[in-house]
Amino acid sequence: MSAIDAAGPGTPAPPAEGEAVRIEGLRKSFGANEVLRGIDLSIATHEVVCLIGASGSGKSTLLRCLNLLEPIDAGRISLWGQQITGAGVDQNLVRRYVGIVFQSFNLFPHMSVLRNVTLAPIKARKVPRAQAEEEARALLRRFGLLDKEADYPDRLSGGQQQRVAIVRALAMRPQIMLLDEVTSALDPELVAEVLDVIRELAANGMTMLIATHEMGFARDIASRVCFLADGAIVEQGPPSALFTEPKDERTQKFLRRIVEAGRL
Amino acid sequence: MSLGVGGPAPGSFGTTGRGPRLLSGGGRRATAISTVSTLVVLGALVAVFLLAPGSAQVRHTFFNPTDMWQALRGDPKKGYYSVGAAIWLNIRMFLAAEVLILIVALAIALVRLSTGPVAFPFRVLSMIYVDFFRGVPLLLVILAIGFGVPALRLPFVSAQSAAVYGVAALVLSYSAYVSEVYRAGLNSVHQSQVAAARSLGLSQATALRHVILPQAVRNVIPPLLNDFISLQKDTALVGVLGAIEANEAAQIYSSTVFNYSSYAVAAVLFLLLTIPLARFTDRVIDRDRRRRLAGSAP
Amino acid sequence: MRRILSTVAAVAVSAGIVACGSSAPSGTGSPASGAGSCSSASVQKDLYKKGQLTVATDSPAYPPWFENNKPSNGKGFESAVAYAIAKQLGFKTSQVAWAYEPFDASYAPGPKKFDFDINEISYTPQRATAVTFSESYYDVSQSLVALKNTPIVSKHTPAELKTYVYGDQVGTTSLSFITSQIQPTAQPKVFQTLNDVKSALQTHQIAAFVTDTPTAQYISSSEIPGSIMVAQFPSTGEHYGLLFSLGNPLVTCVNKAITALKANGTLAALQKRYLQIYLSVPTIKP
Repeated sequence: MSAIDAAGPGTPAPPAEGEAVRIEGLRKSFGANEVLRGIDLSIATHEVVCLIGASGSGKSTLLRCLNLLEPIDAGRISLWGQQITGAGVDQNLVRRYVGIVFQSFNLFPHMSVLRNVTLAPIKARKVPRAQAEEEARALLRRFGLLDKEADYPDRLSGGQQQRVAIVRALAMRPQIMLLDEVTSALDPELVAEVLDVIRELAANGMTMLIATHEMGFARDIASRVCFLADGAIVEQGPPSALFTEPKDERTQKFLRRIVEAGRL
Repeated sequence: MSLGVGGPAPGSFGTTGRGPRLLSGGGRRATAISTVSTLVVLGALVAVFLLAPGSAQVRHTFFNPTDMWQALRGDPKKGYYSVGAAIWLNIRMFLAAEVLILIVALAIALVRLSTGPVAFPFRVLSMIYVDFFRGVPLLLVILAIGFGVPALRLPFVSAQSAAVYGVAALVLSYSAYVSEVYRAGLNSVHQSQVAAARSLGLSQATALRHVILPQAVRNVIPPLLNDFISLQKDTALVGVLGAIEANEAAQIYSSTVFNYSSYAVAAVLFLLLTIPLARFTDRVIDRDRRRRLAGSAP
Repeated sequence: MRRILSTVAAVAVSAGIVACGSSAPSGTGSPASGAGSCSSASVQKDLYKKGQLTVATDSPAYPPWFENNKPSNGKGFESAVAYAIAKQLGFKTSQVAWAYEPFDASYAPGPKKFDFDINEISYTPQRATAVTFSESYYDVSQSLVALKNTPIVSKHTPAELKTYVYGDQVGTTSLSFITSQIQPTAQPKVFQTLNDVKSALQTHQIAAFVTDTPTAQYISSSEIPGSIMVAQFPSTGEHYGLLFSLGNPLVTCVNKAITALKANGTLAALQKRYLQIYLSVPTIKP
């Protein structure tokens, strides 16, 4: 995905290099429960950052805040130097630059695969239908899903549905992709095909923030791994460093449990 | 993981995959026994009806074929009108009413589910509207509008036919019920669908129109069609305003010729209207269910 | 056996009524004949409730047939007639009890909760298959009621009459008159009660309605402001009879009472007192 590809007619293309995402002092509570307690994170263009941590540590919340699906309580988020969490920001426009894929796929059950993929480009990017379908088919072919274009989501396996969800997000030509534990709901034998898709995206230079439990995958693909605990980034660094010599005690404890479970 | 909105896994109701089995195993012998016992019960009821002392009188008064045919055809010179022609008025009324109800009720439901301070007075108004028109009996609404509006002597508005006032009353009353059905449908669409649609950059309105509403409506097709069937029958109430619809025509016949068989004709005509719609409802539900639950993710 | 007897009686009574037709009260029959066999003591077994004569009518009961909606006050033509018949049968005023019966239920088949119903009910052959009628106590003609200054007041030739929208109460001979005699091109509006019909006239939903002449006179002079009795129609031989449950033997004695009241001039006097038509009304063809 070239960074020069605009997110739609009339939208400016962001810079091809440099800092893509900056998160400063992000706080988010749900009622009395403070989930994110001051997150500071910077992601450069083409970087692939993996978020790891126990359930409830705030990984999903962080991703949803980045996509403006959740309003934040304090702090700020900037994309390419422009703040997106202030007042008067066009949220729909921001979301065209940042794609997100969910753990539970969330495909639209009343639409065929092709329509799932083309709906947003037609309505939000204002692409004509014929062109949108052509682009959609190209994406589906690229990920081996073209023969399923007329099927409805509940006829597909979990792995296929998740890959369609990724294609659906990609159809909007985002510059940044957020992946929220996208393989956690899949049976083990279906995980690989989804990971392959993500690998390909990374290889093509997509800026990504990936929340995952797949440690082996994280070690392979990430340029940086962040460990989240109790709503803050406890430790971050290249996977080679973090996985072999974690500095913080909480990181060590977490990794030990992962190893014991045989997942690293 | 299946995306189905809480449906049972296929196969849990029986092995044929064609819906719940009415007989619990046992095959032929069980079928024979239950058929025979059903026939015996039905036969007993028919026997009671035919053998009762007043049976001949009842059959003549309520189910006489000659009278049924006369009532169906009508004869204004003899003082009564065709029930068959009158049912056409019922049909036109419920078609007009249903279209309007589907629109008005949706508007009310969307207003009730809106958020934000600007919409507050509308939210309150729509809540009052729903409470009021679900509380007041439909007949009273029909009488109030059918006799009240003409009495106001407003230009144009007060000069409509009884059927127009009847349709207005039906729309006002039924929209209150149907808006609650829509609300249930809208609430039944999982929040994750909204999240997915918004996350793709779709505006709230577009998400509502293309993602939420289609799912919401599909989820409540049974109660919607149920209300439609009920509406077909409630058109008979408009007769109190003087419009000669099927029930009224039956009443005119029965009080002129003095035989109630015209009501049997009206009943049959209403059945001919509602039963196909009921079977159609069943098919739509079945097809939608099969489409949604078939081949869910292993 | 009893059923055959009562059927014969019903046929005989109906034949008698048809024979009497719409003739003016005639002085036939001797009032004193069979006085003993129709006294209140001897008719006890035929009464709905022993010891009293139960007479039914609708509510509201309209003038000039009743007054103040209280049948028991003896005022109004039908109330007076009922008490006169009761006296003829030997009942005291205090022995007459009133019951409520809505108009369209009165001629339905089945046993009745009264001895007879007096409620401007016209004899028709169809109704006579389900209930028994007495002799006529009033010969009826229908009249047209409309609002003043409306087209129908001046334009009412038979051809013009067909062009208006009428309304009337379901099950009445007035409605039948509209559909079979006037035969309008537009379907009339058919209401459940006479009050609905009056409302419809006042709100201009109908151009006119038809009802019997005394009622039309009363409505147009006292009830609906701005209304007028346009005209009356020639009599079609319609008459009011008292209504009994089918085959009720009481009708024989009641008919004797009616004959007596006609002979001694009571009926004529009551008609003059309550049903006098003061205005001269044109008679038009339907």
